[in-house]
Amino acid sequence: MTPWADIVGLAHVAPGGAADAVDGVVPRAVVRPGSIDEVRSCVGAAAGIRAALVTSGLGAHLDLGGPPARLDVLLRLDRLAAVVDHQAGDMTVTVEAGCALPHLAGTLATAGQWLPLDPPRPATTTIGGLIAADLSGPLRASQGRVRDLLLGIRVVGFDGALVSGGGRVVKNVAGYDLPKLHVGALGTVGVIVEATFKVRPRPAREEAVRIATKSPREATEVALALLDDPEVAPYWLEVVGSGVLDGDGAAAVVGLAGIPEEVEHARARVLAATRTRGLEAMTVADGDALRLRLGAIPGEPAAALLRAAMLPADVGEFMEHVDAVARTMDARARSIAHAANGVVRIAIEQPGVAASLIAALRPALAARGGSFVVERAVPSVKVSCDVWGDAGPGFPLMRRLKEAFDPAGILAPGRFVGGL
Amino acid sequence: MYLGRAGTEEKPRGGREFAGDAAHGEVVHEPEARLQTTSMLAPALLASIRAVVGADGVVDRPEALLVYECDGYTLERAAPEAVVLPRTPEEVSGVLKLLASDGIPFVPRGAGTGLSGGTLPVGAPVMICTSRLQAIELVDAKNRRVVVQAGVVNQWVTNAVRAYGLHYAPDPSSQPACTIGGNVAENSGGPHTLKYGVTTNHVLGVELALPTGELVSLGGLVEDRPGYDLVGLCVGSEGTFGIVTRATLRLVRSPEAYKTLLAVFESVDAASEAVSGIIAAGIVPAALEMMDRLMLEAVEAAFRIGLPTDAGAVLLVELDGPSVGLDPQAASVAAVCRANQVREIRVARDDAERAALWKCRKRAFGAVGRLAPNYCTQDGVVPRTRVPDILRSIAAAGERHRVRIGNVFHAGDGNIHPILLFDERDPDEVARVLAAGREILEACVALGGSLTGEHGIGVEKIAQMPLLFAPDDLLAMTRLRAVFDPAGRANPHKIFPDAKVCVEARAPRRRAAV
Repeated sequence: MTPWADIVGLAHVAPGGAADAVDGVVPRAVVRPGSIDEVRSCVGAAAGIRAALVTSGLGAHLDLGGPPARLDVLLRLDRLAAVVDHQAGDMTVTVEAGCALPHLAGTLATAGQWLPLDPPRPATTTIGGLIAADLSGPLRASQGRVRDLLLGIRVVGFDGALVSGGGRVVKNVAGYDLPKLHVGALGTVGVIVEATFKVRPRPAREEAVRIATKSPREATEVALALLDDPEVAPYWLEVVGSGVLDGDGAAAVVGLAGIPEEVEHARARVLAATRTRGLEAMTVADGDALRLRLGAIPGEPAAALLRAAMLPADVGEFMEHVDAVARTMDARARSIAHAANGVVRIAIEQPGVAASLIAALRPALAARGGSFVVERAVPSVKVSCDVWGDAGPGFPLMRRLKEAFDPAGILAPGRFVGGL
Repeated sequence: MYLGRAGTEEKPRGGREFAGDAAHGEVVHEPEARLQTTSMLAPALLASIRAVVGADGVVDRPEALLVYECDGYTLERAAPEAVVLPRTPEEVSGVLKLLASDGIPFVPRGAGTGLSGGTLPVGAPVMICTSRLQAIELVDAKNRRVVVQAGVVNQWVTNAVRAYGLHYAPDPSSQPACTIGGNVAENSGGPHTLKYGVTTNHVLGVELALPTGELVSLGGLVEDRPGYDLVGLCVGSEGTFGIVTRATLRLVRSPEAYKTLLAVFESVDAASEAVSGIIAAGIVPAALEMMDRLMLEAVEAAFRIGLPTDAGAVLLVELDGPSVGLDPQAASVAAVCRANQVREIRVARDDAERAALWKCRKRAFGAVGRLAPNYCTQDGVVPRTRVPDILRSIAAAGERHRVRIGNVFHAGDGNIHPILLFDERDPDEVARVLAAGREILEACVALGGSLTGEHGIGVEKIAQMPLLFAPDDLLAMTRLRAVFDPAGRANPHKIFPDAKVCVEARAPRRRAAV
């Protein structure tokens, strides 16, 4: 338990148990620092004894990434949970890494604002996890991703140094864009302790229209046509695979937001376009609730949750292909797509099928510039395939980057692309 | 700011460690490097380069090099020994391989419209211009992507996709001339970034020619590429990672309609309060720009479209989106303006009037030529609610140093652009301009802002970097740079006070921390 107890106090150190396992690897200790200085001391101490760290918040997304090559300490930042500074007039917020999204949302709501990022498992997602795992949801169609909203970051480096990057203003090109280094890096190049985001006014109204289609391909065509209509200006746009929502068919679901005049006009446009195609549509008044429901699809528990990325126009065909391949394995795939972004998420119930599906479909996606990664999976799936796939021609630079920012290899070793 | 010219009060001094107090105007790179009196280039090397890029692809006659001795930041000048104009990414690679084998540093350049001296050849005898890499290689309207070579002009991208109802969103004022390669290097902004974001939000991939000459394709047409966000790190790296030769850009659906308003105020304070009020009302305009009286005079003299030259300030507010939403939003904007004693509000009635208003805004810098022989545009950022404070600081700095300063800027982003007027033949005035510029930047940082919102650090703001970043922050940046360019040959002596000093200064503390 030493040196950890000396740093964070005995009450905040515990031996690792099965519930703390990361991809089946049980840490020797779970350490919960209560301040940025304590995080610095923990990382510095870990560096001194070459102890491998995995950083976590509330643990909601720890199953992303490869199994850790080594794991000594699970560093839980849930005690660093403060909203440090919300400047409503500047539309910026600075928040500690362990702050859960609902707490932040409560603060922002007092000014009619929000951080328009809607990952799966929002209730137990922390800011640090949001950044490290580069989480997103339907809103990315119009609001962007973490990289588009993150203004500044404070990170504890491998040597215990506290490094600031970016700033607290909405426009800033002084020096390199260090915040980008940590987005989606899964904690392999530093421990995120604080972040500043730009926030946006929450729209006065959010509705949705759900359009029933015969196939994912038709749903994708409908969806992309709506995206091309500047009078609709979709807020979000999901394509739902066959039999995933309720009923048998596929669906395109479009989110509409803005002032009431805009939403009403857009809704009328969508319904008219749907009628022209001879399709059934249903208006959903509580668009926010439907979006959250879609964000939780394809659902859990599943043996594996896979994420494929491709060009938006290829989404429907790919979803049908996944269905067909799964059927040949006597399995069923449930899939949903952020259609405007070309991202398809697929849930598989049978552990054996996930790896086969990846092996079958990854090469074709990669050949077209896309990717196919395991977003979450039971350990047996993770050991049977490469979670990330090929990181592309930039990989030698990535390896050098990892070596530069974690020369001792103590920051989540083995979890990232290519075993970094 | 910094002046590398003889005859002023400020003489460059070399080799200063940045980690201490951030002294003003002390220059940290070696001034001798700018003189380049002895040639670093062997004739054989130039012959080899000519073999790669063609005889017309190398410029080395002294009189022809004068064009390349500065970019839009004209306070410092230094000519390279040779300018190389490759025609393809492969030629860029070939030239870099030749330079690598001789260990020769280089400076990349696009159209030379940069405003922080990022293309000033400092300790880099060879300048590599990407302006002949002009191919638009792919237009995928359905998926809203284009792939362009680095020398493609920003405006050409929108021209190429306008027929599909699409456009490329980042629109710096120099967009008829500036290149995508330069935009990527500087992470350029523009008036419409308030709603649509800056360059980094629209770049999906780059092809980077590393200093070794190796071409690496990073990111690409598809989102969510696994791995570190090397594309995001390259954008805004000011040419210090290598030379971007191609970029994959995201296109934006053009809005159904625009509503462009000009709100006239008696004072900059009232206009600033209106800016805060518009933001607080939950309205996100596509653009929210301010011009003060001095700029109004200059612009009106140049374009004569009936701007009120006796007003304290005007706001240019552009709303865009579905037309049905524009009138209610315009009414909200007008209400905020009225609450802040607006004198009058003019609404552009058609595309021609909208274009006229934007012409005034985007050519405002050029119009300043009527007021003084020279001007220097500063670029700083403050939290948007602190715009009134920074404008007061700017006015005070102008009075204190007897410098006339106009303001035309991105008020909605808190991104200020004070324009300092001077006559370069008056060394005393030049020194006062530099001093005022420094004070303005210090005031930005003191208000919680940044040294630059869209122009970059270049050589101009090197001395101020320690105001914003601690030694550990700068060390992380130099570590990152070494990943791409371990030898430091790509655009040397930019951004950072001195990388070597940085690492040495850090080492003892690192041991202490662990």
